[in-house]
Amino acid sequence: MNLLAFLFIVTSLVTLVAGQLFLKRAMESTTRTDGTRARLIGLLAAGIFLMTISFFLTLGLLQRFDLSYLYPFQGLSVIIISFSAALVLREKLTLQLTIGALLITIGIVLVSLS
Amino acid sequence: MENQPSGWRSPRLQLALSVLCVLVSELLLKRGATETASATAWSWTGINSLASPLVWWGILFVIASFLSWLYVLKYIPLTVAFPLSRVVDVLVPLSCWIFLGEIISARRWCGIALVVIGLAVVAKPVARLEERL
Repeated sequence: MNLLAFLFIVTSLVTLVAGQLFLKRAMESTTRTDGTRARLIGLLAAGIFLMTISFFLTLGLLQRFDLSYLYPFQGLSVIIISFSAALVLREKLTLQLTIGALLITIGIVLVSLS
Repeated sequence: MENQPSGWRSPRLQLALSVLCVLVSELLLKRGATETASATAWSWTGINSLASPLVWWGILFVIASFLSWLYVLKYIPLTVAFPLSRVVDVLVPLSCWIFLGEIISARRWCGIALVVIGLAVVAKPVARLEERL
């Protein structure tokens, strides 16, 4: 793997995680009474923009590498999203959820290695 | 977690639908992207995949999964919903095994087992939350 590929993989991961955080914030604002329409649309647009970048970067990577090579990074996204949701969105991250996310991450890496 | 709608509007059903659409879209996108693989500089962005109809079908399923995913986010925390959505990583190899007759190695079976255990661990607090409602 060269540096460029690594850069693209990291960017696709970061945009995916940030996109999910924006989308969650957007949908949360619909359940609150003080959430304005402009805020919802802005958050949704930011989320969709980031997810679109991640989507096309992933397609570009799929053209070059096997799914089995790219999948371990998908696995990492589970643990990264759990931690960033706890940090940024102040969601409760229990020990049980952390263990579950870790098992899923390790499992995905194992699935993709063989 | 607030009162959850039931029937078609159940967040858990929508999560399952979203996962199913992701499964279909991943298979379509992989085939479409391979079809259009080339070595030009622009192809790093994946944009030339749009030449394949399979990719457009894949995008349709991505949008469908996205809409139900948004609905899920309204009701389920990301720390629970996202790990659960990765059940797709088990479904992809399993569907290759069932439908394409691909062989799953011992190591891969171990990985599948770990993911399933992890999913059960994550899903448990959700079940408990729903009991309380």
